[in-house]
Amino acid sequence: MNLITITTFLPLVGAILLLLLSLRGGDQKESNNLYRVVTLAVTIITFVVSLGLLKGFDGSNPAAQMVQKTPWIGALNVYYHVGVDGLSIWLILLTTFLMPISVLASWHVTKRVREYMLFMLVLEMGMIGVFASLDMFLFYLFFEITLIPMYFLIGVWGGERRIYAAIKFFVYTVVGSLLMLVAIIAVYFYAGHTFDIPEITAKLAANPALIPGNIKTWLWLAFALAFFIKVPLFPFHTWLPDAHVEAPTAGSIILAGVLLKMGTYGLMRFNLPFFPDISQKAAPYVMALAVVGIIYGALVAMVQPDMKKLVAYSSVSHLGFVVLGIFAFTDQGMQGALYQMLAHGISTGALFLCVGMIYDRRHTRLIEEFGGVATPMPQYSTMFLIVSLSSLGLPLLNGFIGEFLILLGTFSSPVPHARLFAVLGATGVILSAVYLLWMLQRVLFGEVTKQENAELEDMDLREKVAIIPLVAFALVMGIAPMKFLNSTEKAVSAVKEAVVGKPAKVAVAPAPAANPTTAGHTEAGHGN
Amino acid sequence: MQLDQLNLNYAAIAPEIITSLAAVAIMLVDALSKKGARTVNAGISLVGLALALIAVFGLRSVGGGSFFAGMVVVDPIRLFFSVTILIVAIVATLLAGQFLRDEALPPGEFFSLIMFATTGMLLLAAAGDLVTVFLGLEIASITTYIMAGYRRYDTRANESSLKYFLLGSFATAFLLYGMALTYGATGTTNISGISAAISGGKVIHPALLLVGAGMMLVGFGFKIASAPFHLWTPDVYEGAPTIVTGFMSTGPKAAVFAAFLRVFAEGFGESASPLGSQLHHTWVTAIAIIAVLTMTVGNVIALVQKNIKRVLAYSSIAHAGYALVGFVTGDFGPVAFYLLAYSIMSIGAFAVIQLFARAGDQRTEVADFAGVGFESPGLSFSLAIFLFSLAGIPPTAGFMSKFYIFKSAWDGAPTLRWLIVVAVINSIISVYYYLYPIVVMFFRPLAPGFIKPRVSAMTAVALILTLLGTLYLGILPNRLMSAMSSSNRTAVVAPALPSSQVANK
Repeated sequence: MNLITITTFLPLVGAILLLLLSLRGGDQKESNNLYRVVTLAVTIITFVVSLGLLKGFDGSNPAAQMVQKTPWIGALNVYYHVGVDGLSIWLILLTTFLMPISVLASWHVTKRVREYMLFMLVLEMGMIGVFASLDMFLFYLFFEITLIPMYFLIGVWGGERRIYAAIKFFVYTVVGSLLMLVAIIAVYFYAGHTFDIPEITAKLAANPALIPGNIKTWLWLAFALAFFIKVPLFPFHTWLPDAHVEAPTAGSIILAGVLLKMGTYGLMRFNLPFFPDISQKAAPYVMALAVVGIIYGALVAMVQPDMKKLVAYSSVSHLGFVVLGIFAFTDQGMQGALYQMLAHGISTGALFLCVGMIYDRRHTRLIEEFGGVATPMPQYSTMFLIVSLSSLGLPLLNGFIGEFLILLGTFSSPVPHARLFAVLGATGVILSAVYLLWMLQRVLFGEVTKQENAELEDMDLREKVAIIPLVAFALVMGIAPMKFLNSTEKAVSAVKEAVVGKPAKVAVAPAPAANPTTAGHTEAGHGN
Repeated sequence: MQLDQLNLNYAAIAPEIITSLAAVAIMLVDALSKKGARTVNAGISLVGLALALIAVFGLRSVGGGSFFAGMVVVDPIRLFFSVTILIVAIVATLLAGQFLRDEALPPGEFFSLIMFATTGMLLLAAAGDLVTVFLGLEIASITTYIMAGYRRYDTRANESSLKYFLLGSFATAFLLYGMALTYGATGTTNISGISAAISGGKVIHPALLLVGAGMMLVGFGFKIASAPFHLWTPDVYEGAPTIVTGFMSTGPKAAVFAAFLRVFAEGFGESASPLGSQLHHTWVTAIAIIAVLTMTVGNVIALVQKNIKRVLAYSSIAHAGYALVGFVTGDFGPVAFYLLAYSIMSIGAFAVIQLFARAGDQRTEVADFAGVGFESPGLSFSLAIFLFSLAGIPPTAGFMSKFYIFKSAWDGAPTLRWLIVVAVINSIISVYYYLYPIVVMFFRPLAPGFIKPRVSAMTAVALILTLLGTLYLGILPNRLMSAMSSSNRTAVVAPALPSSQVANK
């Protein structure tokens, strides 16, 4: 059996197992513990199995690997078609890696534990499925499946305004995805009745006129809207702070860590390769929105009184970098974007975990309620500090590589005004240092101002087990990025070449060509 | 006309014979046995329906063609819609047992009414002649009028029944008048005969035909509750007992769609003659406009409803609109699949509501469902799945059927692709009101006065059937879709007779 298929459906098997276990009845407390342990075991097993993907993966091959293609709905020409390539493999691993941590972070959930864990597992299946799908129909199916468990996680286990946040999350996402559904049907039709993503990509590359120009613009917009909402790109971001603040800690980790990446992944998987010419035309506008998002997100984060909301807005800012990198159409920019997706998943996940830990103790997340937490909780504070530094892009930690590559790539990008965007985007790096360090200063350092904070307990074993892998990974990614970058390079280049064409012989030099702007324009000319 | 030309073949109407015999048998048993033998009656119904289902599959060996002088046809439309109708009838019968006991209503008549209604609906799906269409429609309608008012002591049910009767008769009159005019124009009531007359240029008064077709469109539009002919629906659906609402919003709707498809897509289908193509173009445009109105009116008004039965009533209107989007291509496969999916998920939703609402439909406000989610998780999650399915969220029947409709409309009606966009925007609107009961059920604190519903074995079977159906059609629709796709239809029913035979009579 195909390893990807196993990875995708293992969580579902776990979910069914939970249902079967609930039949045995018995003591509530005891069964709750059983559900937690079983879910943790299932997510760990899934992670271990997914590591097998790395073993069989050949980074020098840009095409999808470990493919399984089985007819599913013949009448609609839909296949169960999964595989991994450089774009998706690390995102799948990120998902399976974050899941056990999320389960650990949910250990204190006492309300309806079985249903909670059930939704977590179904969510994991959906997320892996999104990244593994090579069939548009299958992709859409998984894309939507992730909605339902997340909706319940926010709505049932969320904070005070959870109902509002859950509905907002659901409706925003559905608006985007249903319009994408029309676009999927249209692409299916124009590409000769197929949902197969690699096949469509090849067909559209060989014959860009397959879809009439006017319609192409609309289709690009339909796909883009779905993904922009998911990312979320400014000005489609308003659902995100609500969802994050109200979601339980694990929900926030998954939301920031994985669900948002479905948007940026979708842009790289669909918009760029399917509609290269429209993507080129749209690039300056998208980059402008991304830069606005970077700066706006950072500025709003700065004034947040609530730590979780601060981290939520920092996501808007950081995901702006990712979009900026994707639409730079350069190797560095796009590689950096992919790298930043992973780095953001790790460090923002860890940030939410840290916020969740202190919330568990004090049941508040307001910055002003804290101060001098480092005195009672030294270990916690160290972890929080490292995690924040990785998020703000300190060299030797994971955030730095991604942001640096993105800015580098944007600076040498063929897109008009790219240099300006790079310069403006760079201010986001500074701003992120400001809001994160300022928060740390107010929360962790200084005198203990409030009596309640003086006797906070430091991390227990469960919390250490949850945070240490994240911190370790942040270090590994910061020190040895080449392992990741090498394996994604070919797939990313393939996407880039789909947009701006193969580099001309002259421009092969590693440094940016003498005048990248003009070079880019001529290449774009070939594309048209 | 020679007797052998009538082509009498009782196997071709075996399902209808079985269901009507079962209906009569129930009436006899009920009259002869002293105490209301609910289980016996339900048993006879189920056996009758199961045999009818077998007989429907047996139609495949009868072979395609028309029988009884063209009154009845055997073709894929009939087969698929008959299966849908029988599934609805089986689920309704399973649900009826608990309903009748909880409400202490006489059991005999109810089961025989279901069986008679089923006979009428099957006849509608089988009709090859406008006269049969009318016959089937009347049998199905009159029985459902009575079912709507089955709770005699309840004024809401009486209102519902009377309103249904009055407006239903009104619609029937339109339909009948349209049929008469069409007969006047073409000289035949046979549907393929009408088609032949139009393409052969044998229409006596073209204007008469257009008016006749228009009136039939109105009549059918009433019966499937499409806007602007939908005004009767919410009151009728709200007032009738919930399981009757579930029954009449699914079965009769599917059956009328079958006849609607046969009359319009086949009788007034695309043809070479200028009149035929003008007529075809006109009704396609009219249906496209009706579809837009129906979807939009249904969804927008559903947004502000407080009563869950009214929400589903407007949702039922909206779903007729989506099905009409598939109608414009003239390809019945996606429409039939849509109605099967809709019927299963909708009657399932009504079944759960019936249980929560308790005897006499006391608790049908959406607010009454507050907090029931984790008190009765089985029922609540079932309702949630039905609602997600109605909203078109994968992996459910609702998503698959909508997708199938959209895809077929994109392929089959290039000039009407904007309809898909309208339908999608409507789906987005609908998400809100389908989501709201889920919000109330799971995210709100428990409403006072909640009593955990008791679920009888037969009800449980009905729920499991609908639930599995919703997921089966959503995850593994391939077998059914392949059978319905236009290329495979001859494999389903091989034509036994040249179809021109009827036209020659």
